[in-house]
Amino acid sequence: MNWDLSKYLALFVSESREHLDALSAGLVRLEKAGGGGEVPAEVVDELFRHVHSLKGMAAAMQLEGIALLAHRAEDVVGVVRALGTAPSAEVVDLLLAVTDALSEMVKEAGAGGAPVAPEPLAERLSAASSRLRGSTPTATAAAPPPAAPAPAGPDPEAIPAGKTRRLRVDVEVVEGSPVPAVRGFLVLKRLEGAGRVVTASPGAAELRAGQMPGRKLTVEVETDQPVAEVERTLAQIADLGRVQVLEVAEPAPHRPPPPAAPPRPEGPGEAPRTVRVRAEMLDEFLDVSGELLLATARLRELGRAMPEAGRRAHEEGLDRLQAIAKDLHGRVMSARMTPLTGLSDRLPRAARDLARRTGKQVDVVVTGSEIEVDRALLDEISDPVLHLLRNAVDHGIETAAQRIAAGKRPTGRIEVSARRERDRVILEVSDDGRGMDPESLRRSAVARGAIGAEAAAALPDAEALLLACLPGVSTAGQVTDVSGRGVGMDAVKRSVESLSGTLAIESRRGEGTRFTMRLPLTVAMQPVLLVRVGLEVVAIPVSKVHGASQAHVEALDRAGGAPQLAFGGGHVPVHDLGVLLGTGPAADGRRRSIVITDSEAGRVGLAVDQLLGQEEAVLKPLHGPLSLVPGLSAVTVLGNGRPVFVIDVPALVAA
Amino acid sequence: MPKKVLIVDDAVFMRNMIRDIFTSGGFQVVGEAANGLEAVEKFRELRPDLTTMDIVMPFKSGIEATREIVKVDPRAVVIMCSALGQEALVMEAIEAGASDFIVKPFKSEDVIAVVKKVLGEG
Repeated sequence: MNWDLSKYLALFVSESREHLDALSAGLVRLEKAGGGGEVPAEVVDELFRHVHSLKGMAAAMQLEGIALLAHRAEDVVGVVRALGTAPSAEVVDLLLAVTDALSEMVKEAGAGGAPVAPEPLAERLSAASSRLRGSTPTATAAAPPPAAPAPAGPDPEAIPAGKTRRLRVDVEVVEGSPVPAVRGFLVLKRLEGAGRVVTASPGAAELRAGQMPGRKLTVEVETDQPVAEVERTLAQIADLGRVQVLEVAEPAPHRPPPPAAPPRPEGPGEAPRTVRVRAEMLDEFLDVSGELLLATARLRELGRAMPEAGRRAHEEGLDRLQAIAKDLHGRVMSARMTPLTGLSDRLPRAARDLARRTGKQVDVVVTGSEIEVDRALLDEISDPVLHLLRNAVDHGIETAAQRIAAGKRPTGRIEVSARRERDRVILEVSDDGRGMDPESLRRSAVARGAIGAEAAAALPDAEALLLACLPGVSTAGQVTDVSGRGVGMDAVKRSVESLSGTLAIESRRGEGTRFTMRLPLTVAMQPVLLVRVGLEVVAIPVSKVHGASQAHVEALDRAGGAPQLAFGGGHVPVHDLGVLLGTGPAADGRRRSIVITDSEAGRVGLAVDQLLGQEEAVLKPLHGPLSLVPGLSAVTVLGNGRPVFVIDVPALVAA
Repeated sequence: MPKKVLIVDDAVFMRNMIRDIFTSGGFQVVGEAANGLEAVEKFRELRPDLTTMDIVMPFKSGIEATREIVKVDPRAVVIMCSALGQEALVMEAIEAGASDFIVKPFKSEDVIAVVKKVLGEG
């Protein structure tokens, strides 16, 4: 690859991954239709589009291996589309294997390699497309394309040469290109050279007058050239941003297009215009806009020392600045929002593979994948959600025989749903499997010494289920290659909590289990409670705080060793935060306030000297050695310029 | 082997500038012409891979020259060098067979991008 292209590599890799994930998801849907079954046209159209895009992108990147394999796969999908029936399981398996191979190749390309298509796979694809074609000799030529002008119709390459086809060409001239209408005119003339132009919008006269709304041009042309040839012609015209050539309905020479039909002012060309930027760039924007907020707060702090006379105008200016900085910050945050599709597209495939290996039958239903969350959050929750899904297949869903014996449908059902509740996103993974047994979890936790027998017996069932999240409890005696992937339930819970989220488990024996994760939409800005202990000020995420009490620690009941605070109808053990942080106990032996918060072993009280109030904090991750200090999760900078650590209470108490 | 370029423009300054752009872009400038008449002669003689063509020139306009060059070789690649306000002329040149156009002021990378695209290298 020459160096010119290398700057597009990261973009190529990320876009390709999206296509491949979507391809996997689509193939699993295809598989559900069963060999020979009727297959929804839009599923196959989507498959075709993804594999076609990948081919084009790879060709543009001069990654011939990927382009070749994608091209062969496109052939197969093209024939499947023309046939209109779902292909056999072998064909779907082959296409899934190709998807995997392509993923590997894209990865290799991303690392600077020039991947070569695995010859056996390429050959199997060729064999599959000729076999499919052979199974219905007339299919490729005779299958009528579904409703026009959907990107449908038989494989263009499969049409006998010399036959006229109607192509719909959509082009968009790039922004900043001088005189776009002239460029549109050039496109129109080139297409006139390729065949007979049926309609053009805008037409030649409008283009001559310099009119080209949105720098877009749509032309329908009847030609005997294949799509690829027309694409090649257009590829030689500079400054075209988007070019789409689609075969539309059979040409109808005796029937002119209805005059009333406008030349499709709506349509793919009207999709919102987007640009892609590196995700890191958004992180940098967020950092800078966060700094701006902090700098504003710092100025306000300094202003308090100003003489009365100028202070008012200073304050007003600052109010305005702060409003702008907040607005900017909000916009950057919203630009970082990413739909959950990036995660949910991977789920059906993951479940399918595992179900096959474990010999189970599972349907995965995903809802709410359009919900948008902060990109960083999406990265963080992907593994936990995948783990919950695998757990559901591996441990939740029973074998078909067991299910039938229990009076259930042989195919298990796993639902993954996302929804928004105010500023939170709720992610649920539920199954209709065998359910969890709180009693055996209690026994297992006690046996592992994770909890005392009395405490275990006192736990309500809902909380006993959470014992599964203690290290070593859930996987005891059931380690499989599935749950042995290094992410246990304890890691799931830790991930969720490190995002200031909560995890709840509901389960009924024989009926199923539901894992509910409540997460903030964003991880970068969170309300925190500032507390002082000795000379230290630290922040506690408000989402973890259940309440605060002004009780004096020395007055508490110490019957059970640690001082106990009566709270919410029970008692919580109270720890001196100074001792936990290593700054030592209070000088006079007293702390005046207690913050009640969550830890691994339930609620705890943290004794502090003073509650300083709540702030919206821009959280910055810790780097270097600081990230290794247990009990610290992030850092934020206060208005007075003072850095404050955000503490990770569960880790601190456990340490 | 570098692609051969013929530069047609009645201004020496413009020819020099365009020559620099192509030379530094890895092309070989094989000839220059200062008007449409000369352009057609040089084209017949040099058979360049690419011709850059000014529009308004003495003796014979760039549009006329383009039409004749395309008659000599229908596969000839002629890029019109235009300025803003010459849209109608550029469209005329396109109808006469020009492959693409660039608009002054030229940025060298833009020129090379257009040319590579037209030559199927971009």
